[in-house]
Amino acid sequence: MITLLDYGAGNLASLEGALEALGYAYERAESPANASVDDLWLLPGDGHYDSAQHSLSESGWWSALESRILQDKPLLGICVGLQLLAEGSEEAPDAPGLEVFPGLVRRLGPGVKVPHMGWSMTLETRAHPAFKTDSTGWLYFVHSYALDVNECTLFSAEHGRAFTAIAAKGRVLGFQPHPEKSGAFGRRLLDHSLRWLGETPQEAK
Amino acid sequence: MPAKRVVPCLDVKDGRVVKGIQFQNLRDLGSPVELARRYDAEGADEVVFLDISAGEEGRSTQADWVRQVARELTIPFTVGGGVTGPEDFTRLLRHGADKVAVNTAAARNPTLVRMAAALVGSQCVVAAVDVKRDPECGWRVFIKGGKEATDLSALPWLQRLQELGAGEILLTSMDRDGTLEGFDLELLREAAKLKIPVIASGGAGTEAHFLEALEAGADAVLAATLFHEGTLPIGRLKRFLGERGQLMRLEAPCKR
Repeated sequence: MITLLDYGAGNLASLEGALEALGYAYERAESPANASVDDLWLLPGDGHYDSAQHSLSESGWWSALESRILQDKPLLGICVGLQLLAEGSEEAPDAPGLEVFPGLVRRLGPGVKVPHMGWSMTLETRAHPAFKTDSTGWLYFVHSYALDVNECTLFSAEHGRAFTAIAAKGRVLGFQPHPEKSGAFGRRLLDHSLRWLGETPQEAK
Repeated sequence: MPAKRVVPCLDVKDGRVVKGIQFQNLRDLGSPVELARRYDAEGADEVVFLDISAGEEGRSTQADWVRQVARELTIPFTVGGGVTGPEDFTRLLRHGADKVAVNTAAARNPTLVRMAAALVGSQCVVAAVDVKRDPECGWRVFIKGGKEATDLSALPWLQRLQELGAGEILLTSMDRDGTLEGFDLELLREAAKLKIPVIASGGAGTEAHFLEALEAGADAVLAATLFHEGTLPIGRLKRFLGERGQLMRLEAPCKR
């Protein structure tokens, strides 16, 4: 079962539609009290790093996330959800990060349009068992900050500089693009991620 | 740099997709979800819905179809039409739209664009601008679905929208809309000087017209009837543009 963290950030309608189309069971939860620790947690997010981090702390999710990371329980972060998995962000220097992926999230540019909005080509930089059949494809991005390419990077994209599009460490995966908004290729990557994190689709719609 | 986008546009009235030429003589074409799904499968990069409903009925059906489109579509979509205040931005995004387009209300009250950008982020704010050539100012801005002329001269107005925080411009040439004679390239060359992306709209009739618009500096190209009637399948158009040097999102290859 998937728990969708409902903390007021992220376009949940699209994500729910994608999960349903792929045949995965999920539940929305507004606080960790309503979430099973054994579920795969899906951490969406858009908008400011600071406000996302703040509402996760307020609602008790932040400490629940920290402890599940220590236990290597499955977790998938999308967009700002990936950024929160880094050590922190230039966007909010005083806000902490979950410190799964190394490095600080940095602003894109100069010399390119920010936010980076639209379809960009992603390239596999490191083989990973989740994505045995996926090497390169177009994904949809909307963001102003990005994590540099590092040893956790599986796929990279470029906007002024190369940055992490998909990263993994242990049973934690993060997507900077929106796989739920990225056509058939995005859906496939989402499906492969969920399978690798231990989910089994029931009947796909 | 992100890929250039091909964007089909659907006019929606009371929860149904309709089509008219230069905003006149409407015909029922089907449900928003059905048509959007077809475009998604054809390889559209995003879809724009303009809700031209007037009054309560349109507003109440809107929540339903926007939610349904958000669940069904695998690509981003914009909803515009009848947006009058900042609360319309939050409402439509909550229903699942990725971006919200504003036209008349922005021309009447430009601070709305600033408020919306502060509230939901520039990336979610699309300024739709309808213009007509005018001997006095080059191009004049029209509002209310093209029915009412304003005092605004188009090029300074586009600049102003960018300063106010619009994330993108949907620029329609009313002179060309529905004519199939090609985009207003002179207009696009001027608009391309902006720092924010421009979606070219109005006049597409052939593959070559789309190429001209992108070469004139547009970031995305929009059409309605041409895609709807199947005259020009989106997949074929994207391959055409890709073969002529435009960066397009074409099908993802599979590793074997």
